[in-house]
Amino acid sequence: MHRDFPRHLNSLTPLYEFAEAILETNNISAGARFPVHLAMEELFVNMVKYNPDVTTDIEVEMSVGQTNEVTVTLTDNGGVEFDVTAKRPVDIEAPLEERTPGGLGVHLIQNLVDSLQYRYKDGRGKVIFTKRSENEDV
Amino acid sequence: MFEIEFGNSGEILCRGRLDAAQCAKAEGFLDSLDAVSTLDFTELEYISSAGLGILLKTQKRLAQVGAGLKIVNVNNHIHDVFRYSGFHAIFEIQAKE
Repeated sequence: MHRDFPRHLNSLTPLYEFAEAILETNNISAGARFPVHLAMEELFVNMVKYNPDVTTDIEVEMSVGQTNEVTVTLTDNGGVEFDVTAKRPVDIEAPLEERTPGGLGVHLIQNLVDSLQYRYKDGRGKVIFTKRSENEDV
Repeated sequence: MFEIEFGNSGEILCRGRLDAAQCAKAEGFLDSLDAVSTLDFTELEYISSAGLGILLKTQKRLAQVGAGLKIVNVNNHIHDVFRYSGFHAIFEIQAKE
């Protein structure tokens, strides 16, 4: 399933509803749904936040394979290069006074999905991630 | 959809999905706190890094006056997010029973 979403935060609810309908139809477990929604939001918000002057829609494609593996692709036309697979320093053991929220979103994506790829060519950035659905809480 | 309000015992009830589009509502409410406070996440389904940032900002501000947030009834998924974010070291957190 493919859908284009306007590049602003008001798209987060339609984005959630789009994904949830597909996940529900395919009986994807709650344990997989949460990280799929989280990764989609974090990636979408990054594309919005780092490209304030870009007006093109963000393309989202989601599919579910025969083994209940969810694959999501977000394509950003005209955005800056932002490799979400690159490791960024996030000190999750730092004391409170030294904590900052920066980088937490990418850190969470990298820890919660099963695979993560990034491609950038000719002003077109593409992120592909997968998440396997477990059976225990279907 | 995200809602935040005081409960009958003074706890703060959070409901729904705290995503980046809802942070202004959460931030506006939490900015008014100036004492030790309990957030009840019984009906909070989801939180993203934007919501974590609001919690972190509030905790840092309250710590300066000797106060802080306690977060109770956290579901398994949000608990995982807290764990990966290292929030257990800087918040008092209780999972949902």
